[in-house]
Amino acid sequence: MEFSLLGAAAIAVAAFWAMLRFEAKRGNAAGCAVSLWDAGLTAAIGGLAIGRLVAMVQAGVSPLTEPGQILLVRSGVSTPAAAIGTLAIFAFLARSDLVAAADGIAPAALAGLAGWHAGCIVTGGCLGVETDLPWAWALDGSTLTRHPVELYAAILLTVAAIGLALWKAYGRPPLGAVTGLALAAAAGARLVTEPLRISLGGGPVWFYVVGVAIGLVVTIVSFEHRRRTLARSG
Amino acid sequence: MVRIVVAMVIVALAATACNSPTPDGPLPPPPQPTTREALEAEIAQGGVPTVVNVWASWCLPCRSEAPLIASAAAGHPDVRFIGLNVRDDPSDAQAFMATYLADVEMDHVSDRSGRIPIDLGATSGVPVTFFYRADGSEAAVHLGIIDEPTMARLIDEIDR
Repeated sequence: MEFSLLGAAAIAVAAFWAMLRFEAKRGNAAGCAVSLWDAGLTAAIGGLAIGRLVAMVQAGVSPLTEPGQILLVRSGVSTPAAAIGTLAIFAFLARSDLVAAADGIAPAALAGLAGWHAGCIVTGGCLGVETDLPWAWALDGSTLTRHPVELYAAILLTVAAIGLALWKAYGRPPLGAVTGLALAAAAGARLVTEPLRISLGGGPVWFYVVGVAIGLVVTIVSFEHRRRTLARSG
Repeated sequence: MVRIVVAMVIVALAATACNSPTPDGPLPPPPQPTTREALEAEIAQGGVPTVVNVWASWCLPCRSEAPLIASAAAGHPDVRFIGLNVRDDPSDAQAFMATYLADVEMDHVSDRSGRIPIDLGATSGVPVTFFYRADGSEAAVHLGIIDEPTMARLIDEIDR
């Protein structure tokens, strides 16, 4: 097991917990029937396992003949499979009150993602493509300064998480709008920072584009649904 | 419903087991023994950026890491990849190469004692990956299994 990844995971869980606590103190408007902490952590761990299993199969490693390799998370996790798996498990756990639960957990999920990206400080994986910008820094022993691209993603996600939490606390978002915007923000943060990353084969850009599109559609539908409901009642 | 899902998962896992890589056809030649001096001379005289990946057939993370090494080697033909097999039996090493590193553009050498990585500044654990610039100077050492972003970033560091 790669211990620096555990450090990054701990930062992510702490950020998730802190945002849930922040929202609880201000009244999480959702008032849903499931424990968001339990459901969120279960979904994240399950999604990670699914993402790792898919990455193993894609690499030609059988989970049956070499089950121990599922623990070697650093060898690779399929981002689309992990994300879809996490959402599917959460949807199953919160099926009795899905939209309200999703709105309830969305800012905390973004905060957790921000923590995961900020965990690059522990794993040493913050840097992307070369730049001369004043805040760029270099790898140990190198003179090439690079974008701290994972910190950019962490900042974008933190701003989105705080913005959505404040909107929930002080605005009156229609049911589902927070979830839609959170989905768009999560995918969008990866999409806009992807050109600054270095990878062997390029990230799944199509997946981030689809994520942004689905998030925006969910948001528009939620606003439209409220407008029609108000029109019918008024 | 739950039983159907569990049954589908078991069938899917069984199907993937059928795809487990196994060596077929002739085995590659065993890695030739080398010394620290010979390896360093090879790196310095090559005049190209070089990645030295330390592996062993008994090393579970090395199996997991092999697809990434293959992908990196395929994507960077201007970078030389050398596999340093340590503390291993030659026939086991051959089977590992045939199973996990077949068709990878990579030279393999061996060090039965396992001293070379330690002398080069690593630890006795595997896997380890060394990154050398074209002039032979060491740019980075990554201890343990390497992930895709780190591999890409360190290759970008030496390949310029």
